[in-house]
Amino acid sequence: MQTTHPQAFDGDDVLFAPVLRTGRGFYTAAVFLLAVAAWGAYAYTYQLRYGLGVTGLNRPVAWGFYIVNFVFFIGISHAGTLISAILRLCNAEWRRPITRAAETITVLVLFFGLGSIIIDLGRPDRLFYVMQYGRLQSPLLWDVTSITTYLTASTLYLYLPLIPDLALLRDRARGWRRQLYTAISLGWRGTPEQHRRLERGISVMAVLVIPIAVSVHTVVSWVFSMTLQPMWKSTIFGPYFVTGAIFSGMAALIIAMAAVRRAYHLENYLKPVHFNSLALLLLTMSLLWFYFTFAEHLTAYYGGELAEGAVLFAKVTGPYAPEFWAMVVLNLVIPLAIMANRRTRTVAGIVTASASVLVGMWLERYLIVVPTLANPRLPYARGLYSPTWVEWSITAGAFALFILLYMVFTKLFPIISIWEVREGRERGIQEAYERIESYLPTPTPGTQPSGRVPGVGAAVPSH
Amino acid sequence: MRVTRRGFFGWTGAVAAAAAGAQTVRAIGDLQAATYEAELPPRGIEGWVASVCQQCPGGCGILVRTITGVEDGVKRAVKIEGNPYHPISRGSICPKGVAGLQALYDPDRLRGPLKRAGARGQGQWQPVSWDEAIATVVQHLRDLRARGEAHTLLLMAGQVRGLMQNLLLRFLEAYGSPNSLSTASGCEAAQQTLLLTQGIAEPIAYDLENSAYILSFGASLLEAGWSPVRQARAYGHLRQGTPGRRGRLVQVEPRLSVTAAKADEWIPVRPGTDGALALAMAHVIVSEGLYDREFVDAWTFGFEDWRDPAGTTHLGFRSLVLNDYRPEAVSAMTGVPIQTIVRVAREFTATRPAVALAERGAGFYTNGLYNRLAIHALNALVGSIEVPGGTVTQRRPPFTPLTPVTRDAAAVRGLAAPRIDGAGYPALSGLGAAKNPLASSALPSLPEALRTGSPYRANALFLYYANPAYSIPEFTRNPELLDAIPFIVSFSPFPDETSRHADLILPDHTYLERWQDDPIEATWGPAVLGLRQPAIPPRHQTRHTGDVLIQIAQGLGGTVAAAIPWKDFGEVLKESFREVAGAQRGLIMTTPFEEARQRRQADAGFWLPTYKTFDEFWNQVAERGGWWDPAYPFGDRERAFRTPSGKFEFFSQTLRQRLETLARRGPASGGGLEGVLRALDIRARGDRVFLPHHEAPRFVGDEKEFPLHLIMSKPMSLASTRTANHAWLAEIPDVRTSRPWEIAVEINPETAHKLGVKDGDEVWLESPAGRLRLRARLYQGIAPEVVHMPFGSGHGAGGRFAEAWGANPNRLVGGEADRLAGTPALFATRVRITKV
Amino acid sequence: MARWGMVIDLDRCTGCQACVVTCKAENNVPVVTPREAQRGRLMLWMTVIPEVEGEFPRVRARFTPRPCMQCDHPPCVKVCPVQAMTKSPEGTVSHVFARCIGCRFCVQACPYGVTYFNWQAPTWPKDLREALNPDFAIRPTGVVEMCDFCHHRLQHAREEARADGREVRGEGEYVPACVQACPARALIFGDLDDPNTAASNLAHSPRAFRMLEDLGTSPKVYYLKEG
Repeated sequence: MQTTHPQAFDGDDVLFAPVLRTGRGFYTAAVFLLAVAAWGAYAYTYQLRYGLGVTGLNRPVAWGFYIVNFVFFIGISHAGTLISAILRLCNAEWRRPITRAAETITVLVLFFGLGSIIIDLGRPDRLFYVMQYGRLQSPLLWDVTSITTYLTASTLYLYLPLIPDLALLRDRARGWRRQLYTAISLGWRGTPEQHRRLERGISVMAVLVIPIAVSVHTVVSWVFSMTLQPMWKSTIFGPYFVTGAIFSGMAALIIAMAAVRRAYHLENYLKPVHFNSLALLLLTMSLLWFYFTFAEHLTAYYGGELAEGAVLFAKVTGPYAPEFWAMVVLNLVIPLAIMANRRTRTVAGIVTASASVLVGMWLERYLIVVPTLANPRLPYARGLYSPTWVEWSITAGAFALFILLYMVFTKLFPIISIWEVREGRERGIQEAYERIESYLPTPTPGTQPSGRVPGVGAAVPSH
Repeated sequence: MRVTRRGFFGWTGAVAAAAAGAQTVRAIGDLQAATYEAELPPRGIEGWVASVCQQCPGGCGILVRTITGVEDGVKRAVKIEGNPYHPISRGSICPKGVAGLQALYDPDRLRGPLKRAGARGQGQWQPVSWDEAIATVVQHLRDLRARGEAHTLLLMAGQVRGLMQNLLLRFLEAYGSPNSLSTASGCEAAQQTLLLTQGIAEPIAYDLENSAYILSFGASLLEAGWSPVRQARAYGHLRQGTPGRRGRLVQVEPRLSVTAAKADEWIPVRPGTDGALALAMAHVIVSEGLYDREFVDAWTFGFEDWRDPAGTTHLGFRSLVLNDYRPEAVSAMTGVPIQTIVRVAREFTATRPAVALAERGAGFYTNGLYNRLAIHALNALVGSIEVPGGTVTQRRPPFTPLTPVTRDAAAVRGLAAPRIDGAGYPALSGLGAAKNPLASSALPSLPEALRTGSPYRANALFLYYANPAYSIPEFTRNPELLDAIPFIVSFSPFPDETSRHADLILPDHTYLERWQDDPIEATWGPAVLGLRQPAIPPRHQTRHTGDVLIQIAQGLGGTVAAAIPWKDFGEVLKESFREVAGAQRGLIMTTPFEEARQRRQADAGFWLPTYKTFDEFWNQVAERGGWWDPAYPFGDRERAFRTPSGKFEFFSQTLRQRLETLARRGPASGGGLEGVLRALDIRARGDRVFLPHHEAPRFVGDEKEFPLHLIMSKPMSLASTRTANHAWLAEIPDVRTSRPWEIAVEINPETAHKLGVKDGDEVWLESPAGRLRLRARLYQGIAPEVVHMPFGSGHGAGGRFAEAWGANPNRLVGGEADRLAGTPALFATRVRITKV
Repeated sequence: MARWGMVIDLDRCTGCQACVVTCKAENNVPVVTPREAQRGRLMLWMTVIPEVEGEFPRVRARFTPRPCMQCDHPPCVKVCPVQAMTKSPEGTVSHVFARCIGCRFCVQACPYGVTYFNWQAPTWPKDLREALNPDFAIRPTGVVEMCDFCHHRLQHAREEARADGREVRGEGEYVPACVQACPARALIFGDLDDPNTAASNLAHSPRAFRMLEDLGTSPKVYYLKEG
């Protein structure tokens, strides 16, 4: 392995630090989260004992928080794999410290997506009937298929780029950790051949994972839009959900990045420029999300169909109006106000905007699921939904457990891809230079390229 | 130990995790438990028992599906369906009928005789043996009789007819008490209508199926009427039963009831003005000459002005309606547009056969009886009396009367006493005031009698299918009034409100466990006799009240025992059916096809019975559910008109005769007829008193203070006071609102808006008599000055479900009554609504 | 093969709800407490929908009995992930609750709202358990249930017909409990493909329509409008 900047090696120590040393702050947070998660687990067992009757679900609102959480968690999962894969394929150099944090979210959060479905089942003991008696026409089966595929692909996609880092850890760790890393680093030695194969594997996965990710959230949307229910039966639900998913996923990623940056003192790696780039993407997604939302609601309004109108007005002016307008503010107004302005587009500002989006997107999922159910086509059995302590507890528990698992992950594996950051230092800059140069018109013979871009040439490392 | 924040979090987390872990283990264990497993009720051998429903007075034939368990040998009733042979139900059934299973298997049923242990009303009991209980009753009654106070035994019965009624009345007669009180006040008033106009004290029945135009004044045809199933069947037939013909239904009522909703036209009318509206229609019919001249000329009395033998000219119905009931004036009074009055009057005469119905809506005011007379006069105008599609009178099964009771001295003395409620024409002489000259029983007067001990103290009370502490307003509010009676015996199978005040409860079987005859009453023309037989053996230590009565009579001995000489109720029952078998008419219930065949034979003069011996007859009756005689003698005017004139009387000579007798006899009524009229609160004078007229209704409560009228209805699910404990019915109390387990006050949105009340708000519904807290429901189908509440829920006793829901509007009903008829004026209360 | 269907004459229906209660009795449909009922957990496979229109004094009310529509293109069957919702060769939609995983997708898919979920284990007071119908199991907690035109009655009728060596007749031998109970004879049941049954004739009447017909679900329950 070539080392062109020996001093940088010691600088990367901070990346190993979280894995190798754990402070009291971590334990405090962990115990707290564990308590919340345990409370959620208790609520779930309570639900198991007495049936779903302990929730606020009813007729006609037979789906509530759990399905909202399901859609939300699956949406968050787009944070990682999709964003990371797209950035990788686009050779966006700023991706390097971000990808791992993103991919981890994906893999972990998918479990919670699937878990939400299981929690929602009246008979979780019969879960495997889905395999045994599965009916292919059912969108729920499509869901099961695509989510499991996505989970497999995402896990692989997380694992492959982790291998070189595992090897680095193997070399530093002791005790059981050493054995663990030895086992899962698969004998990585960093040979060019291994590098070549790894890069190839990552590229293949990056290409594969994008359609899978898109399919996952499209299929989630189809659970709703394949029915005949007013304001669910919509052709744009697929792209609308995918957009929302990426939107909320990026917000989650930004918050995760900010958290690890703060906790593990990674300011040198996760720089404002990273946040800025993501913020611009988030801003774009916010506008795209608004475009879809607007289109969706305008068509429902303009057509004036009674059943759709009932749902629409329940959202806009009816019992769900507070949630609806909160959603608009949180998803559009606040992000736009903060991020469209260069002065407020600071790390703190961006994190605020992201938190706002995260809450807003959860509300959006809620507003997709509940008002339609509360206003079915036939004018009887109207109902409202107010969750009980069970749903709140399980939801809180799920979020707490997710955060906890994420924290634990950072204790086992470096949350920033060390080798990729190094690779960036070693090769990325040159590659970027060459790539940019390739965009430019081929110089006529006799013209100095460096003369056309003053200063750039000086930064090119000499071989 | 120092508690740090971290430490605190740590411990909390650890404890929570441990608890959750334990809980998880338990939950996983529970996954295997029963709640997660489907369960098959015990299988067995199927059987069907034909019987008669008793969830309401309708008298529907039912088939009870029974399963006799293969493993435990227990016979269970698992379903009730309509009996296809029974002419009332023809295989169909109403929701109450199905829910009879929940009466049989009511978890709160009384399981054996009980003696009161605590104070009255506390509901503390101690079980006693049947022998002891009966001995106690015998002892009490014997003492009473020995003291010469036999007449102070009161019998209060609600739904009772046939042999059980005979038996009870016979017991009372032999014992020596005139005090048989009925809680069925609606039937009472309906009987008086026919008494005054046609001279027969029977309820009016209607041949609805064959009618082409039904003008109903507040009849709850499609709610809990006399016989919901027959009425619904008739309605279905009226609408789509005959190809190419669709009968018309017009409902006059201040509220869009289920009947009004299903009617072709709903005419909201101001409370208590139904009679005026009918008379205005009569005005149109008479002035336009649309009435049935032939019938009016030949078969009515008092249509034209007439001259009596003394030479006095009397007012005729024609002059009365022409002078007093111009549609313009009546329109202002009733709130019904003139055009509507004129149009409906014309339609009523143009579409034959047409029939006018006078029932609860019109009858529950202080002018109820006059309203009914006015409405029935419409039937006379179009000749719809005793014709197909008109009014009919119920024929009875051919029971021969039992041998007369031998009265001993105590009985003679007791029976000479006036009735405690002042009801009844013949027994009036001893009373201080003319109270209820037409009624055979007048419960509204009982509370006063109990309070004052006048005309005498009541010393014992038998309760049979009666729950006055729920159903009679005064007793609802003050059940302690009953405590004035030192000895109360209830025969109720359920722990109802009144039984709480009893000293002894001797629970009857439910109707699905006993033998009984069920001749229908007040429903239809033809005579129908159903046989109620046990679907399953009695589940608990209950006993047939007929048997208990026989045992009490035997315990009393003497003429009382001689009057009731049978071994048990079954013996009486068989004896009576033996007479029916020997009567050489009618047929065993069968299919419509077979019936048609037999009727054709009967028309041709053959009566070919399907049985030769009584045993055959009995077996067939038991298998098919009963006997009936489809023949109805339409046009038999001699039978229908038994008035002094032998005709339908617009001018009621019966009423005149009774009031004048009363004026002569009543010592305290003072100035002759004037005194009687004043005592009865009748404002009309002269001939109008005896003619159908609009008597201004009186209401309890000041109009300013209580601006709204309270009316009530019995929804389909709550026919009697007992069905409130049937959870199946409590889930569907009212089809119009479709809200489970909810009884609300219905209010017009405009009125609600003025009061600042929104749909679903909790409100106080308040009358001078009391107040209820309940939910308000805005309903466009109710007049702005009226509020409505269903009756039948809101029990203070009677079981876990009954006590859990609803409200009893009787708590608000003031003490007004139709004094002439002796019936409570249930709709004569004003109320106000205030937000909670 | 018979295609069983129901015709509901709205002109005859009096809103008495006999169908509602008889259905509960026939199919062991659990009763829920008042509190649960108010929370929207009421279970009525057959229910009567009231509609009130207009303003005083020009008000109309309508009552519409609503069983399962027994669609020829049932949305609930398509979406069931475990094939618990099934359509028989005769076209009757029924639900195998022993296989149901309780995902409630069918509840969302049905535009008529005829599927009911067992939010909790059914509880009957001990005495009331005696009246349970042995032809139909009690559903456990966590599964969906719904009207299947009293399929167990068809099985009874079929056994009896088989004993006589024939098929079940298109009319009269097999009727769901609600149809049997209806006093106004507003519910008519029979083979829709047999031109001789009253049901099939009425389904072709000019008064006939089907609920939310434009959704393309092709219900086998026809309504006859008033008048």
